[in-house]
Amino acid sequence: MNRTLLGFIRKELIQALRDPRMKFILFVAPVVQMTIFGVAISNEVKNIRLAAFFSPQDTVLRDVYERAIHGGWFVPAGASGAVAQDPFELIRADKADAVLVAPEGGFTRALGRGNARLQLLVDATNVTQAQSIEGYIQAIVARTLAADLGALPARPPIRFDLRVLFNPSLDTAIFMVPGVMTMLMVLTTLVLTNIAIVREKELGTFEMLISAPVSRTEVILGKTLPYVVIGMTNLPLTLAVAVFVFHVPMRGSMLALVVATLAFVCTTVAMGTLISTYCDNQQQASMGGFLFMFPAIMFSGLMFPIENMPASVRWLAFIDPLAHYLSLLRNIMLKGGGAETLIRHSAALLLLALVSGAASFKRFHTTLR
Amino acid sequence: MTFVPARAGAVARKEWFHIRRDPFTLALALVLPLLMVIVYGVAIDFNVKEIHLAVSDLDQSQASRRLIDTFSSSHYFRPRPEASAALATADLSDERARAALIIPPRFEKDLLAGRGAKVQILLDGADNSTVGPISQYVASIQALASRRLAGVDPSPPYQLRTRFLFNPELNSRWFVIPGLTVVIMAILSIFLTALTVAREWENGSMELLLSTPVEPIEIIVGKAAPYAALGILATAFVYVIARGVFGVPFAGHLWVFALGCLLFLVTYLAQGLLISVLTRQQTIAMQFSMLTGMLPSNLLSGFIFPIASMPRLFWYLTMLLPARWFMVISRHAFLEGSGFSELAVPFAALALSCATMVALAARSFRRTLE
Amino acid sequence: MSEAAVVEARGLVVRYGDFTAVDRISFAVGRGEIFGFLGANGAGKTTTIRVLCGLLPPSEGGVSMAGVGYEQGERAIKEKVGYMSQRFTLYNDLTVGENLDFIASLRKLEPAAYRRRRRELLELIAFDKPMSAMVRDLSGGIKQQVSLAAALLHDPEIVFLDEPTAGVTPVGRERFWGLIRRVAGGGKTVFVTTHYMDEAEQCGRVALMREGRLVALDSPAGLKKTVFPEPVFEFDPIGRLSFDKLSAYKTHEAFSFFESYGPRFHAAAASPELWAAWAPRLEKLFRIRPIAPSLEDVFIRVVEARR
Repeated sequence: MNRTLLGFIRKELIQALRDPRMKFILFVAPVVQMTIFGVAISNEVKNIRLAAFFSPQDTVLRDVYERAIHGGWFVPAGASGAVAQDPFELIRADKADAVLVAPEGGFTRALGRGNARLQLLVDATNVTQAQSIEGYIQAIVARTLAADLGALPARPPIRFDLRVLFNPSLDTAIFMVPGVMTMLMVLTTLVLTNIAIVREKELGTFEMLISAPVSRTEVILGKTLPYVVIGMTNLPLTLAVAVFVFHVPMRGSMLALVVATLAFVCTTVAMGTLISTYCDNQQQASMGGFLFMFPAIMFSGLMFPIENMPASVRWLAFIDPLAHYLSLLRNIMLKGGGAETLIRHSAALLLLALVSGAASFKRFHTTLR
Repeated sequence: MTFVPARAGAVARKEWFHIRRDPFTLALALVLPLLMVIVYGVAIDFNVKEIHLAVSDLDQSQASRRLIDTFSSSHYFRPRPEASAALATADLSDERARAALIIPPRFEKDLLAGRGAKVQILLDGADNSTVGPISQYVASIQALASRRLAGVDPSPPYQLRTRFLFNPELNSRWFVIPGLTVVIMAILSIFLTALTVAREWENGSMELLLSTPVEPIEIIVGKAAPYAALGILATAFVYVIARGVFGVPFAGHLWVFALGCLLFLVTYLAQGLLISVLTRQQTIAMQFSMLTGMLPSNLLSGFIFPIASMPRLFWYLTMLLPARWFMVISRHAFLEGSGFSELAVPFAALALSCATMVALAARSFRRTLE
Repeated sequence: MSEAAVVEARGLVVRYGDFTAVDRISFAVGRGEIFGFLGANGAGKTTTIRVLCGLLPPSEGGVSMAGVGYEQGERAIKEKVGYMSQRFTLYNDLTVGENLDFIASLRKLEPAAYRRRRRELLELIAFDKPMSAMVRDLSGGIKQQVSLAAALLHDPEIVFLDEPTAGVTPVGRERFWGLIRRVAGGGKTVFVTTHYMDEAEQCGRVALMREGRLVALDSPAGLKKTVFPEPVFEFDPIGRLSFDKLSAYKTHEAFSFFESYGPRFHAAAASPELWAAWAPRLEKLFRIRPIAPSLEDVFIRVVEARR
């Protein structure tokens, strides 16, 4: 390999790794964060505070309530029982997330009359949570009635045999961990590359650098290759946490994962380089990096489904390397890697890397202007 | 130690000159929030629509066609015929479909014989954001299909009447935008201060500032004030867009929200200062503000992922996160119209974390002088 | 100049938009010469040097650096030139050894040649610290010496030093100039900018720049002679003189030049007749003695162009 490039890589690695705080950020923080976010975040709705008002005679509603609490999704809200309170106020005061209100005379008696209406009040400030709560309660009421009264038809005429592939137990860690991996990876590569380049400009060492007869390619590769290397070292770290701590399956080929990660790291490093050509100091570089990261995370598909977005903004997800890498990770780790998806997203990443690489090459000068 | 407002004012003025000459800071502070709210307002929708459904109809009967028609006429699903069950499953792994419907050969016969016809539905479990909604749609279609195909009404002898309070139409925007306000504010304030002050340490001008008779508290206030102003301006922007463009209701009192904003802003400005003092280097300050500011306020504040579902330990840990409390205040102020009495706990917690963070920042700042 | 020029600038013009930073500059510098470059801040010194180093293509005109110009590409120029910029040339967060290794790799030096060259240069600057010393822990003077060694690592024919002694102690500056003389004595052309007049005195020739133009170019002695054809005197005030009175002398008809010089003043006579008429009166207020003008007087008169 070219002597200049080797010298560059050595120098960048020394600079990046000398500071112990930087070592922490590069190698310890990803593991800690993977663990924290993997454990903590999920789309699943649990520990919903449920209140129900029923008279002692209303046995069916009492059973519904108890079944809900024992089922694990609901916890009792502070105020429950016979003493009716204004359910609306209860939710507004943030003392309950959902309240069951019996019809006049009690739910049990209304069932006997044949036109029972059970009212459920749900705090809908969180839309997804509200929908889940309704679904849970629906199921719990149905089951309670079946048990208490044997009231349901034994067999519906059409039965849907619903199976969730790739994550049958709907384990949230398996959903979230690939997303967290993606985010941490971009945090180290894009931001570090960007700042490393701008730092030289700001400190004035850039002038020294280009006073040597180096080519553009040498400077760009010299500044970026080390961060590709650093980015790649994050893969075994985060993968280990994913597989050993969270038992995320690794169904596809390791080689495909490495290639996909390499393509992703190259893309983010190239984008970091491109951003750096617009910045004069580290502050701007950080902000530029941030201006990229925030929407990139939002459009990655981790938080919001991409296919729901209107076409006018959906193309943003196409130029978002995080979206492609997240699809790749999920595809390789959970689905075992369908060739078509693999090729499609890797090609998209490569295209993005090429375009941003070419753009930064064009904007990068070894003379001062 | 005395606090001289004029001296803090001088520091603030100097900071303001920096900001004014730096288009990046201004862009970040003003354009970004605007853009974010508009883009997210348009882009984000939790209500999954037009789900690609791979259909393998092995029965090819009138009943099976009516079942498929039930799916497509719901407008939630867009069927995509496949010749075999294997191909339909492959569509799931290759992202051509999110769900697959496999109708077995004896479907119509079983249905007519009253034996309970069975079809298989497969969901792509790799994407958390779609599994939940899709399985709910499937359940409602099951009931609908039973009625249409077999004339049987499987509906129970009761009605569950759900009232969705504060957001009756389950509008995603109403849910996302008040939360986005919190996230944007958190990031802006922590980020801008951490970087600018770290920069001043790095190029030595902080020592110059400290060699003057300016008290640390004056420096802190002076450095933070312009960013606080920017943050407030950004919040005002977001508020106007949320109300004007997306019609998010604001049921509460503006001053309750404003007080929450202020407390929150000060807390995160102080956190930014603390980071800058502890790191004194922009690269590292940047990483730390991402780690302690952006990621937690996005992921652990209850913005999207519910806090109540977290393991007990984390549920307690999030109590240390000011963004979690302000998230409650913001959502309640926007949608529920809560006042101080309902929001006493979040306000107390926010005030406490604000005081703690300011004290920590001031202390670490003073320490560096000794 | 006996030999052919090593550095040659022909009608250099550098424009940034509407602003002309360097305006039609031409000069030639010979082998082994110490060439001083003086001018106020923003006079175009650094811009000129950047052009000569291959860092900034000129808007008009051309350069020839050891026979190479922009026609051969800026990399050809960079091969011939060593450059020590006025800002940091070394990475503070690397050791001396790591810095030199990196520069050697930038210049693609053969390992053996690099080791030999590094030994020679470290001997030249008498570097006695370990290679593993962090650059940020070095004193300003030592740092500049290591920077010089770094700029000379590839054995260039020409070396540019842009304010190399800014922020260095007087002893350090003295040592540094000793190094400059040794480097020039070894046959290298040294191009140096400075704000210190005592340093400019040590240059073989000095070029003065003002507002992008070359306004004077000669040896220090030659400059003094051409800039001050009239006799120059030192005025040492006998008693206390009011500031107003002293300011008035600046526009006094007897003087073509009157500037403070420490507690004393340097003045040039406007004409022999006027001087003869005023001298007796002035001798009551000042002790007057004839002197040779300093380079600072030259600088003030030419660059700052008072009167």
